[in-house]
Amino acid sequence: MTEAIAAEQLGKVYANGVEAVRAVDLSVAHGEIFGFLGPNGAGKTTLISMLTTLLRPTHGSARVEGVDVVERPEQVRRRIGLVFQRSTADEVLTGRENLEIAAGLNGLSPAESRPRIREVLERLDLTEAADRRVSTYSGGMRRRLEIGAGIVHDPGVLFLDEPTLGLDPQGRAGFWEYVRELRARHGMTIFLTTHYLDEADQLSDRVAIIDHGLVLKTGAPASLKEALGSDVVQVRPSDPNSGLRSVLERIPGVRAVEPAPVDAAIRVRVARAEAFVPAVVRACDAAGIELAAVETRKPSLDEVFLSVTGREYREETEGNPTNGPGSRARRAGGR
Amino acid sequence: MYREFVTVLRREYLKWARVPIWVASSFVIPVLYLVLFGQAFDLDRLFPAGADGSDYVRAALLGAPNYFSYFAVGMVAFVTLTASLYSGTGILFDKQLGIHQRTVATPAPRSALFAGTLAFRAWSACWPAFLAFGVALAFADVPGLIGLSVRPSVSALGIAEVLVAEGLLALMFTALFLSFGYVLDSNEAYFGITSLLNLPILFTSNAMFPQATMPPWLQTVTAYNPASLAVNVMRQNLFATEGYPYPPTLYLLGLLAWAVALIALALYLSARSLRVR
Ligand SMILES: Nc1ncnc2c1ncn2[C@@H]1O[C@H](COP(=O)(O)OP(=O)(O)OP(=O)(O)O)[C@@H](O)[C@H]1O
Ligand SMILES: [Mg+2]
Repeated sequence: MTEAIAAEQLGKVYANGVEAVRAVDLSVAHGEIFGFLGPNGAGKTTLISMLTTLLRPTHGSARVEGVDVVERPEQVRRRIGLVFQRSTADEVLTGRENLEIAAGLNGLSPAESRPRIREVLERLDLTEAADRRVSTYSGGMRRRLEIGAGIVHDPGVLFLDEPTLGLDPQGRAGFWEYVRELRARHGMTIFLTTHYLDEADQLSDRVAIIDHGLVLKTGAPASLKEALGSDVVQVRPSDPNSGLRSVLERIPGVRAVEPAPVDAAIRVRVARAEAFVPAVVRACDAAGIELAAVETRKPSLDEVFLSVTGREYREETEGNPTNGPGSRARRAGGR
Repeated sequence: MYREFVTVLRREYLKWARVPIWVASSFVIPVLYLVLFGQAFDLDRLFPAGADGSDYVRAALLGAPNYFSYFAVGMVAFVTLTASLYSGTGILFDKQLGIHQRTVATPAPRSALFAGTLAFRAWSACWPAFLAFGVALAFADVPGLIGLSVRPSVSALGIAEVLVAEGLLALMFTALFLSFGYVLDSNEAYFGITSLLNLPILFTSNAMFPQATMPPWLQTVTAYNPASLAVNVMRQNLFATEGYPYPPTLYLLGLLAWAVALIALALYLSARSLRVR
């Protein structure tokens, strides 16, 4: 059986010379939820645009449900739904009308689309606002409507470009639940890009990490985290110049020590964080270092991201920093 | 194909109907033009019967009973032009708002998208013209105003020809301005070009002034101007036929040629704008 989405050496160089996506190989199975994770400018939208026939690749090839995106774009468009990163609704139309238009352009008859639209509005919590103009919608409502417009026609493969951008935690949780339900009930294949690590973690069967147009790692969130093989203990001294690092390095069982990106804290990788904390406290006591905070963390995709890109995830998305702990991240990022 | 066409038609209609100013201006413009221009520029008053040159003016009207009647038919064409002037703005806004992208990603046939847009926009340019026509006729019953008077024996075929001429003219202008919408990316460029074209199209036609009174070079341009062609069809059918070199059907053919050419151009440009780069 063919994959739902396949790409070989897929790449895009824009007219201005920006190499937005470089030689991406990809294989997404039917019914899989696949998360594409990367910071701003990583190439997520470019990649999704090529897979959805909106942008012509400059290298390589891609197929959706076995159909080549360049050779037979109309056939691909019949099989997909797309949720854009930016809002594409008609402001003067109501939410319901926008969905009706989306359904009509995908070839659904009014009779076919009516029950679907009712369901979509209900599941996206828009029933009450359905007959109000979109211009009166909040940001989150627009976002949810956008999602609705991508799925009214019940596509086989759904592409979502940062679907939960601007949703509150409740809205995001509701969306995740809906995505899982779509997969369970309709067997939909779901390809989503996100720069929320927890979203990729919670929702995806598999995750690909993309940065500077390159896929750096692909795998199930759990296996990616496992591969990292360690918990993290983050220790913050009261006095930044206390020589904490050398003290920590001498504690038995330490796998790695590195500066954390904030507050002169130090990160220690160990097998089991809970068991390690008492040793940290004792060692610091003995060395006369006063501690401000000790935190433990199971590995997160955040850590995975750090280990594959050499950069702290959050810094890059916030467009940070030029000095302090960030300069380390920069050097590492500039490999 | 049909379903997508109807969907586009419905979207265009809803967007139009939801903007009251847009709807209102299509009501107001025809009336305004007829009242302001029509009652102010009255060649009949400038050259009252018996005055020097009045025979010449009367003859130049080619059978129209008075100047206002002559002018009112011209205004029908000009109202069509004005009402179609902004046809392309919807395309521009769709491009800027990313709605265009959403449309590209759907399997809707490109020709259905184009046909839906063209049909609605042409319709919305047609009916202000018919409104202008009705208002001009009604002026005859308003004391103190001059109205449009047509000959009592306008044939059914004549009416059909008038309607076809109006339809072709609306399609043609709409296709022209849609083309600018497909090609251009900036609103400034669009409004710049359309406002540049508006009056020259009017003044190189015989909508307001008889062709016979123009210098020869302008007469040539005027003869081919689609607004003149439509107006010739209408005037020949509505007034006593006098002094037209060709029958209405020939002018209709000319108009059809314009419409076919411009619709083909617009269709090509629309497909090009939907093409993936
Ligand atoms: N039309 C374009 N022309 C030239 N360069 C572009 C174009 N679109 C995007 N880029 C560049 O390509 C790179 C990838 O952009 P892309 O939009 O794919 O990133 P992204 O991962 O979606 O980012 P974000 O999270 O900010 O949405 C960026 O460096 C961007 O500046
Ligand atoms: Mg993006």
